[in-house]
Amino acid sequence: MHPPEIGVWIAAFLTIACLTFLYKDNPFFRFAESLFAGVSLGYYVGIVLNQTLLPNLIAPMREHFGQNWDLVVPGLLGVLLYMRYAPKIGWVSRYALAIYVTYYIGLDFTRRIHGEVLPQLARAIQPLSSFDRATFFSLVYVLGVFSVLVYFFFSKEQGPITRRISRLGIWFLMISFGAAFGFTVMGRVALLIGRLNFLILDWIYPTLGI
Amino acid sequence: MAGLFERIVNLDRRWIFLIVLLSVATPIVIPIGLPVTTTGPTRAAFEFIEALHEGDVVLISFDYGPSSAPENDPMAEAVMRQCALKKLRFIVCALYPLGGLGLANNVVAKITGELPNLRDGVDYVNLGYKDGPAAVMRRMGDDIAGAFPTDVHGKPISEIPLMKGVHDLRQVKLVFTAATSLIGEWWITQVHPQVGIPVIIGPTAVSAPKYYAYLNSGQLVGMVGGMKGAAEYESLLRARYPQLATFYTTTRAFTATKGMDGQTVLHTVILLLLVLGNVAYLRQRRASAKARA
Repeated sequence: MHPPEIGVWIAAFLTIACLTFLYKDNPFFRFAESLFAGVSLGYYVGIVLNQTLLPNLIAPMREHFGQNWDLVVPGLLGVLLYMRYAPKIGWVSRYALAIYVTYYIGLDFTRRIHGEVLPQLARAIQPLSSFDRATFFSLVYVLGVFSVLVYFFFSKEQGPITRRISRLGIWFLMISFGAAFGFTVMGRVALLIGRLNFLILDWIYPTLGI
Repeated sequence: MAGLFERIVNLDRRWIFLIVLLSVATPIVIPIGLPVTTTGPTRAAFEFIEALHEGDVVLISFDYGPSSAPENDPMAEAVMRQCALKKLRFIVCALYPLGGLGLANNVVAKITGELPNLRDGVDYVNLGYKDGPAAVMRRMGDDIAGAFPTDVHGKPISEIPLMKGVHDLRQVKLVFTAATSLIGEWWITQVHPQVGIPVIIGPTAVSAPKYYAYLNSGQLVGMVGGMKGAAEYESLLRARYPQLATFYTTTRAFTATKGMDGQTVLHTVILLLLVLGNVAYLRQRRASAKARA
């Protein structure tokens, strides 16, 4: 069994530094927190340069400019975004931002309609011609959606009927929050398991020669 | 007894942190090996991949970072092992900026280390990372090389044997996304309607509940939810592939099945603490009501 490498020691130190916050705030935690934020930003800049800008923009224009001259346009738009740091011509960056936002609105619009609204509606509204298990659950979903929507309808004061329906909506919400909370606990515990596995199996055991 | 409950109500929460730490650490030091039962969404995912034919192409997208690696790593590894043993060809890509590529590289290195017969560019290809996941997915639906002109090593896509005949996502039989964020959802809501490709998602447990809606609507063919889902997948793999049964029981490395020991112990402890805390609170409330009367 080889002793742990220096990288493992650093990772172990930073893990413990983060966990010390559970006792109370301290300089070790602050150091680890700041280091994480800085490293994340540096990593992001590096990976975008190496994995996106270089192979998708710079290399094609450098090697075959005649075939890829149109890449000048997105390249320039990207540069324009940084013009906001020059106060006198900062307004130019808005053109790039406008195109960027418009592209994503177009993409998101079709995604919402064809990827969320229509398929979910089609599944929720089932024909009642034959009553089986799927139809029963479909009715439950429709009832849940309807009652929750009534609960969130604040434009009119609730009457005796709508109050009961919204009460049912609260039950649906509570059940869904409970399921989400249960999964959240499991997710957070999984992260702790991952860190403790690292500390015990990759750091403590090799250090002790186990 | 009343004194005990009073102490529970006023217990410093750091004692609970210590109990949680010990509950999770103990099963790592002394593994229990609790059984894992499988659920429908995980079985559907497993059986869908089992039904694919030798040589079919699967896309495995690493849409998570180190912060959720204990949940997503085991499921990505399990799916990759299954693809390799089924002789499916797989394309790896990463769309999560903070660490997705590093994790993809680690998992590819791990699986190709276990199965040295896998040939880079023939049986699998690692396309690397691209920024702007929604736009990248949109482009991959029309032209994969347009989004990924080279693989992670800088080799042009046109020179990679696996990519011959794989022009866009329509030639891919399945997308498996191990996801921690919205990126996984975009494979379902954007790519699936665009090219009709089946999608299996491996979300973190935190985001798993919302994906049941997509399962029910048929937009997902399966789901491997969180560490529990990954442990189920490992269990199905062990049952179908005896060579992996040995691996999963002998490896010292972290697996989701081992992680579920800690999950089970800690969930039991949390439930006990919930009951104790509520009993103590109710007794205190009753006592103060009596005192007021």
